[in-house]
Amino acid sequence: MILLRLISWPYARKHLLRVVLTMAGIVLGVAVFVGMHTANQSVLAAFHQTIDRIAGSTQVQVSSGEAGFEEDVLERVRALPEVRAAAPVIEAAANTGQGNLLILGVDMLGDRSLRNYDMEDSDEAIDEPLVFLAQADSLIITKTFADERHITTGAKISMRTMQGDQVFTVRGIMKPGGLATAFGGSLAIMDIYAAQKVFGRGFKFDRVDIALEDGVSLDAAIAKIQALLGPGFQVEPPSSRGQQFEATSSIYALASNLTSVFALFIGMFIIYNTFAIAVTERRSEIGILRALGATRGQIRTLFLTESAISGLAGTALGVLFGIALAKGMAGYISGLLSDVYGVAQGASEVTPEPWLLAAASAMGLATSLIAAVLPARSAAGVDPVKALQKGRLQSLSAGENRTRRLWALACAMASAVAFLFSNIGWIFYGGYLLAVLTAVLLAPAMSLWFAKALRPVLAGLRPVEGTLAADSLIQSPRRTSGTITALMLSLALVISLGGLARASYDSLTEWMQIALSPDLFVTTAESITARSFVFPESVGEGIRKVEGVQQVQFVRTVRVPVKGVPIMIVAIDIASLANHVKLPLVEGDAATMYDEAEAGRGVIASENFARLHGVRFGEVLELAGPAETLHLPIIGIVRDFSDQQGSILMDRELYIRAWRDNAVNVFRVYLKPGADEARVRQTILDTYGSQQRLFVLTNKDVRAFIIRITDQWFGLTYVQIAVAVLVAILGIVNALTVSITDRRRELGVLQAVGGLRNQIRHTIWMEAVAIGVIGLGLGLALGAVQLYYSVEVARRDLIGIEIGYAFPFQMVLILTPIILSAALVAALGPAESAVRGSLVEALEYE
Amino acid sequence: MSRLLLALAFVGSAFAQDPRQIISEVQKRQQSASQRYEGTLEVVGAGNKVATKSWVFVRIGSFGDSKSRLQFTAPADVKGVGMLIVNHPDRASDQWMWRPNIGRDQRIALQDRSTRFFGTDFSFEDLEERDVDQYDFKLLADEGAMWKIESRPRKKSQYTYSYLWIKKDNYTFQKVEAYDAKGLVRVIEYKDFAQVKGIWTARTTEVLDMRRNSRTTLKYDKLEYNLPLKDELFTLQALRLGL
Repeated sequence: MILLRLISWPYARKHLLRVVLTMAGIVLGVAVFVGMHTANQSVLAAFHQTIDRIAGSTQVQVSSGEAGFEEDVLERVRALPEVRAAAPVIEAAANTGQGNLLILGVDMLGDRSLRNYDMEDSDEAIDEPLVFLAQADSLIITKTFADERHITTGAKISMRTMQGDQVFTVRGIMKPGGLATAFGGSLAIMDIYAAQKVFGRGFKFDRVDIALEDGVSLDAAIAKIQALLGPGFQVEPPSSRGQQFEATSSIYALASNLTSVFALFIGMFIIYNTFAIAVTERRSEIGILRALGATRGQIRTLFLTESAISGLAGTALGVLFGIALAKGMAGYISGLLSDVYGVAQGASEVTPEPWLLAAASAMGLATSLIAAVLPARSAAGVDPVKALQKGRLQSLSAGENRTRRLWALACAMASAVAFLFSNIGWIFYGGYLLAVLTAVLLAPAMSLWFAKALRPVLAGLRPVEGTLAADSLIQSPRRTSGTITALMLSLALVISLGGLARASYDSLTEWMQIALSPDLFVTTAESITARSFVFPESVGEGIRKVEGVQQVQFVRTVRVPVKGVPIMIVAIDIASLANHVKLPLVEGDAATMYDEAEAGRGVIASENFARLHGVRFGEVLELAGPAETLHLPIIGIVRDFSDQQGSILMDRELYIRAWRDNAVNVFRVYLKPGADEARVRQTILDTYGSQQRLFVLTNKDVRAFIIRITDQWFGLTYVQIAVAVLVAILGIVNALTVSITDRRRELGVLQAVGGLRNQIRHTIWMEAVAIGVIGLGLGLALGAVQLYYSVEVARRDLIGIEIGYAFPFQMVLILTPIILSAALVAALGPAESAVRGSLVEALEYE
Repeated sequence: MSRLLLALAFVGSAFAQDPRQIISEVQKRQQSASQRYEGTLEVVGAGNKVATKSWVFVRIGSFGDSKSRLQFTAPADVKGVGMLIVNHPDRASDQWMWRPNIGRDQRIALQDRSTRFFGTDFSFEDLEERDVDQYDFKLLADEGAMWKIESRPRKKSQYTYSYLWIKKDNYTFQKVEAYDAKGLVRVIEYKDFAQVKGIWTARTTEVLDMRRNSRTTLKYDKLEYNLPLKDELFTLQALRLGL
């Protein structure tokens, strides 16, 4: 403590800016980690809270994926003696004249056994229950929703339904609390039979919520209901819901983990760099301490404690920034999921969980300590006699360099071996780590080599300043190697993320060219991913008769559990599809695949389904519908971007047979050659648009929508890129600040012997730009390797699609001036500080 | 609670002190091949909010083997909503509701029978007729002009037991107190008795919901017995067409 107070604290106060910049890496890493995870967890927690609130006292829920099931299931379940109450539910998102609402279609007669409808201004569930039941336009809303829109009982809310535009009447307002707080109050209750018509569900329910008799074991009841209904039904507690939501957000979690780990890794080098310089600067101090009897252990502990304090301070700041970041990110994730799921799940509380804070603190502290281990060891090894002699000791010893090269060689060889066995997950990730480690270990030597190579170039530009700048880098590699390594890692991250984004867009565009061949898409929503409303087949039959229409494909997309995971089934007339679309083949025989699928002898799986869920070509899948359980082999694997978790393409007839569901989500419309697209579109709208909810999207509209969704997904990537660039810039500023401080005497001497201020400025500027160039060169090289691994990570664990390797040359063109300008800008402050300082003080330095 | 809270009371002989025989006599004196009335419901809620509705009620058969229908006639926004009740001697009744605006008939599940009947103080279970054999009875007191009898349902019911007050001189229910495990749920009083085709009939039934502190009064108009009603009137198809 005494050493900290007497030695460390004055040094930190004197180099406050440097301390702050050093902590920046930790701050950013922790902030990203805490921010992304907190946002993710908060949205997920809010989602689960909503599930709980909607579930009420429900103990078991019966569903059949998203396809729903026929009404008789309710009576069958109710007949079981274990069941105290069973209530049907339709749950769907809808945009109304007053904003988006999650509509819960319930049977108000029996639903109160499960859910508490605490009403405003009444002791009864609804002011006039009979009127609520008698009138199909009845709606109960929450007080939150009503207050926000200044509406009261009797108010009208318009909605486009499958029966055309309808006006609903508010016949009850729920008090805040419990059910009324689900989805932030954006919830409305409707009679279930009215909801069937509104959403085009025919005579089907989405699920049945069940409460059991007292004393009945949950597991036993689930087993009995499952046995009664068969494998086509999911019988589970309400807490099992939201798997899809979780799967989506887990991708965010993985991506944010990678970013924060990278940010911390970069931060580690910034800390290492600062401490390495600090050890050099404080050699005389260390020498005096050692001469006064301080042990090596005490010196090592002093540096490690400094690092720990810096790490903890950085962590604390990072947590604060992280919480602020989480608040912004929660809205972003919520918005993104609302595009995918229809209703925005806002997080009312954005607070990090204790384990997250503990993990962030451990990460921040560990990063800081690991970064300081080598400088601390070096400090402990300082010879007191030599240390008390004046002069700098910045150069890397030949031995040090050789050892690193040997380690780099070992890592490179191990990484190459891992590459050969990269089909095994942990070996692949191990190889990835070793490849990065190789680059890190080689970075000082490569920097030196680059600096030497740049010397003639710099000298050619400005003989004096260029030579001085190059020599500074060559003679003091330790001062800049950490910065260059940090810059290299940052740029590698940027290149890999940018490359990944580019390749994804290219792959998606290629898929859209092939898969999205129809001229028009007739949907129930402006967003083609929304599945709340469905069409009856009759609409498609009608569209077929519209003049100018050549062919109409009926598409049903539903998520159903396959191997326990909700997977998108795309049910379509395969023969018709094959006439227009040949999806990019990954495995299988394109000549027979579609015929076999059409005959119902197999299904076609998407590449991402196969990869993410470990299924193979030829494997027999069990696809259980309410009416029939299908056992079908995978007869082809194709590239398909229909769903993030993968999709299964099957013939529509087969689907209808097993799921007893002939509803349609989208009609894909092909026009006759020469037909006027605008006219056909208008005819469809005029003929059917007034009778029911219907949107006709052009091919261009659909592509634009997909690109918009993809842009939103990659929004996170752009945040990561911004973080990486920011860390890189901070690294440069840090290195130059340290460099100027370190060279104050040298710069003072230069001025004393007649060096002009501008010459000093130019020297520092050129050194900064040279750091930028070296970092850029190494970063691009490592980025090229890193991109390979990123593509692999995406293929294996993120999107499950082989998106191909495409080095982002465009990004390099953008990045190069940014980094070089940033380096130059970062040098302005330190350069001015160098030329404006007191010459006498500078000459006395050290 | 002996079923048919909406039913009428009868005069009769005072030959028995056996509670089952007393209830059987009540049923016997209420016996009619069919019934029709126009009812007016007045619900006074806890906040003294008054809601009025009207319906037409028809029944064929009686006591445990009857079918009945009611169809709302007013106010306009509930007009056409109907109920079909098919009573069985050995089990709970089957009940269906018809909602013309939605175009759906819906079976009222057994689990929902304790639910309030469309915002009144009756429950769906109160609309059922249950035969005397579906209860156990105990004579609790001879209160001079009335007997006080306890009835306990043998089958699943929302009520644990009920106290019935039966007038000795005409064998009519005067009052019913219905209890569940938590205590008194409803008090039903029969008033304004008059003889219709020789059957002592209450012209007003008042139901008091003790927990909600609300009251429903049902007044019977144009009450008739033994009309020529056809069985086809008591089907789901007929319910959809209205009365």
